[in-house]
Amino acid sequence: MAEVVLNQVVKTYGNVYAVNHVSLTVADGEFVALVGPSGCGKTTTLNLIAGLIEMSGGDIHIGDRLVNDLDPKDRDIAMVFQNYALYPNKTVFKNLAFPLQMRKLSKSDIEAKVLSAAKVLDITHLLERKPRELSGGQQQRVALGRALVRDPRVFLMDEPLSNLDAKLRVQMRTELKRFHQDLQATVVYVTHDQLEAVTMADKMAVMNGGFLQQYDSPKNVFDNPVNMFVASFVGSPAMSLVPLEVVTHGTDVALRSPEGWQLPLSAANARKALTSTTAKVVLGARHSTVKLHTTQTPGTVPGVIYTVEPTGDITFVQVFLGASVVIVSLDPSVIVEPDQKVWIEFDQDKIHLFDGATEMALAAA
Amino acid sequence: MSTQTATPPPRFGPAIPRKRSKKRIGGWRWAGRGILAFLLLFTALPMAWMIITSLKSQLAALQYPPQWWPEEVTFQNYIQLLSPNNEVGQEFLQYFWNSFYVSILSTILGVAVAVPAAYAFSRFRFPGRQFLFFSVLLRNMFPAVVFLMPLFLLMKWLGLVNTHGSLILTYLTFGLPLSIWLLKGFYDNIPVQLEQAARIDGATRFQAFFYIVMPLSSPGIIATGIYAFIMAWNEYVYALTFMNSKDKLTLPVGLQRFFAEYATNWPGLMAASFIMSVPVVVLFLVLQKYFVRALTEGAVKS
Repeated sequence: MAEVVLNQVVKTYGNVYAVNHVSLTVADGEFVALVGPSGCGKTTTLNLIAGLIEMSGGDIHIGDRLVNDLDPKDRDIAMVFQNYALYPNKTVFKNLAFPLQMRKLSKSDIEAKVLSAAKVLDITHLLERKPRELSGGQQQRVALGRALVRDPRVFLMDEPLSNLDAKLRVQMRTELKRFHQDLQATVVYVTHDQLEAVTMADKMAVMNGGFLQQYDSPKNVFDNPVNMFVASFVGSPAMSLVPLEVVTHGTDVALRSPEGWQLPLSAANARKALTSTTAKVVLGARHSTVKLHTTQTPGTVPGVIYTVEPTGDITFVQVFLGASVVIVSLDPSVIVEPDQKVWIEFDQDKIHLFDGATEMALAAA
Repeated sequence: MSTQTATPPPRFGPAIPRKRSKKRIGGWRWAGRGILAFLLLFTALPMAWMIITSLKSQLAALQYPPQWWPEEVTFQNYIQLLSPNNEVGQEFLQYFWNSFYVSILSTILGVAVAVPAAYAFSRFRFPGRQFLFFSVLLRNMFPAVVFLMPLFLLMKWLGLVNTHGSLILTYLTFGLPLSIWLLKGFYDNIPVQLEQAARIDGATRFQAFFYIVMPLSSPGIIATGIYAFIMAWNEYVYALTFMNSKDKLTLPVGLQRFFAEYATNWPGLMAASFIMSVPVVVLFLVLQKYFVRALTEGAVKS
């Protein structure tokens, strides 16, 4: 196993930056998820690490080697693809054996390694089958086996679970995590599903528009998003964002909505809000930190219920505060109706404030 | 989410919808069969008549009303054509060999050029790619005869007139465009991730192509090979124009000249035609499953 270091990596297509000066270090044995919406550059970044496409600039180290100009075959990596990319004309055994054959191992070595990998993944009974005779989950295991069989320095995974049905995806997620724990493997994992990233990764790298937005542990990314994009991307349902305006009354600071209601800020939040480059400030709140009142109480702001979505153990309620939507989670025993007038209470210790112009999180000066 | 809709309730099984659909399209199915039967007769009858005639004597072949079935079956025509001991047989076998030689070489060369060309068109983005790809088709937009004179002059200038090289070159210009287009469709449908996986697994770019992509595209390669072979095998106009010495003629031209020298020997001509069609039929029979796979797989995304 080895660490992976990206230093100012750039990939351009014509004038478009697919990957824009991305730097990050994946420590030895770490599970890092590259996460972001489609087209954010995460798969391109993975392909750059794999060497499948050429970099436009920057350096990539795997272990102690600079791999910029190395062919994929010389980088000592293994990759699991979204569509598994199993060789359709080869049996499972031959699929697993192919990387070893390419490395000119002896026949007996190949057989021993294939069998042991097959045993680990519980696919021994499938070795003589062709990929098309396997279920999605089995193909997934074979793809993993082909990566595993060679004991590479780094595992690269490109949305390996997204072709599975929901139930199997959850199951394979657990297995992948277990697999990483047992092997202490360095894994770079691409996904558009922030839940996969949060549940499996030691660290997540949130990307958007070719830029690395934030690179931190899932908990830190969740608790302290650096900007509005990360705030709205990580977490499900997404963090509610309400654009407001800072107003001061002597020493008191409040946020005023276009509708006219005001939300007084605590001292700590007031200091943050005043660092904004303009008067525009966006308030962010996770559904679990927002309370819903059916009667007006001090410190609340008025809204109207838009939809009520029961999921069984939690009911999500979307509330319109003027033009912006706030999602509130309720106990299913609380009965509310669409179009009902309600009052929202934000937890001053848990709200996030963003600069309305730069979209960056505001920190106390 | 998808688990809710993934599997239909198993109780009813597939039997009910299938039965119903069979009933509904029954009428159309019979109409379709009728049309197919007609087409079969239309294509098979001339061949049947060719074989029947080839088994008759010259006298029997010219009778009116015709003998629907030869009263006296004779293999004399075939024996004469295939025995190297008489003049007729020698000439025929020479033509046969010429045709075979020209067709095989244009096939092998065609595949050798079309495979890398199609692969490059499918996988690589390079300046002028689109232009080149469509200009490949330019040749096929015009009837072959249009190019007869220019190509003849070109061959004369190259000193290739009356050599098999001129025919092979010409047949390549006919066959390559379609071969490239057909194969490109094939390579487009082979996921690029397969090659990427192979390259990560330790293969060079060429090894990835050779070990992974080539075997997957073999139906396409076989289909283009058959196509190129048949086209070269049957070609007449260019062979007639470019070849002038008797020992270099290919079968289509040879047959015509050969039988025009004598009063037209219909049974002999039919026997020769039958022998000429054997390689094509055999090719199809042996490789038809690849051919069908190539034409369907190339067209439909899997």
